[in-house]
Amino acid sequence: MYARKGYELVKDFASGEKGQLQHFNEELFNQVVDQCTQHYTELEALIRKMQEESVDVRETRNADHYGALIHHLSLIRNKRCLMAYVYNRAEIIRNLAWNVGLELLELPEEIQEKFSDSEKTYFGKHSAALQSYMADLDIDLNVDMVPPKDPYIKVRVLHDMGEGILLSDKTANLARHSMHFLKRTDAEQYIARGLMEELTG
Amino acid sequence: MASGNGSVSMMDDYETLISTTDVELLKRAWRNEKAAPEILQYETALIQRIKEQIQLAEQNVEIFESNGIGSLTVSLYQMDLDRSQFLLRSYLRIRLQKIEKYLFHILKTDDQLNRLSRQEQVFARRCTDDLGSHLDETVLSRLPDNYQSVLKQSVTSEEDDMVPAPRLDTFVVCKARQYLSGLDFEPEYSTEIAELESDLLTFACYKFIKKPFEKGMIDLV
Repeated sequence: MYARKGYELVKDFASGEKGQLQHFNEELFNQVVDQCTQHYTELEALIRKMQEESVDVRETRNADHYGALIHHLSLIRNKRCLMAYVYNRAEIIRNLAWNVGLELLELPEEIQEKFSDSEKTYFGKHSAALQSYMADLDIDLNVDMVPPKDPYIKVRVLHDMGEGILLSDKTANLARHSMHFLKRTDAEQYIARGLMEELTG
Repeated sequence: MASGNGSVSMMDDYETLISTTDVELLKRAWRNEKAAPEILQYETALIQRIKEQIQLAEQNVEIFESNGIGSLTVSLYQMDLDRSQFLLRSYLRIRLQKIEKYLFHILKTDDQLNRLSRQEQVFARRCTDDLGSHLDETVLSRLPDNYQSVLKQSVTSEEDDMVPAPRLDTFVVCKARQYLSGLDFEPEYSTEIAELESDLLTFACYKFIKKPFEKGMIDLV
């Protein structure tokens, strides 16, 4: 059936957990693109046939016209599916830049390998755009993601982060499992990357 | 920021004073921006003032710290500062995220583009280029010639039919700052909405209240 592959592609995206990136489905994606090319060849063939029969391509409403129309509609449907797939993935990628980190290497490897090459480039460029906006305003927008209650919070270190890490008001030895009382703005970036957790209550 | 003009003796005066401090204005702008489906006018002057005040407060906290003023006082000032900074950052962040989401729509018309600050416009243009070339490389360049536009489905489309636009028919919770009669609303929605009581929490379709909202007669909640 025409345009079924496109539907499968979108479903592949939609079935993933919300906000989580799946592997870029190269195989299915290429199949949909190939289908577009096929539709176009057939569309052209039909138009050519109509021209050879010297009927008016714009006005005539014969079987060939409707055949061509079906190919055209299938093609744009496929295009919408392809675009939706890439566009929605791009949205998740942008959110990663906000919530996890602006450098590609800061992202966990499991996430990095789900990107296509073009998506990696896009992530880099987009982060650069964000960074230059922040530099222009001289304000860091990646901290303070939740409304502040206390300027200081209690955290536990989940991964060994090494000694002598420079925080805004002191250097700390953030050994694994140790607990600290830190400035919220300092701790936030580590919490986002899963290196620390906030202790509440 | 501490709005601390404590010398006002009348409670009413004090209340009005409090409700017009820049932080309160920012809080209002932030709430509106957060609840509105589309991007709103950038508060150029207000943001400039807030930034200056934050700088001032940062200096004050530093001076207090070096002067050894009690740590409780300092941390109260610090908390006040933190809250203002959160508001400012969150305000700017929400706007950027809206811009990211409705890029092509915003860049299409001057009316929308002029709502952005200069830096936001630079950002929006860069984003469009980046996303455009990403879409181009991944999808569009591999499609037949007539189907390569980002904005249109194919060359036969008469208007841009592939641009994600904000949905203005979503519902918002709002509160009128004063009594609004039918004249304050767009005539075309007169059958939908006839009046709005002042200060009454109302659930309404965004596009019905868009006009008085843009004039500042309504706040979103």
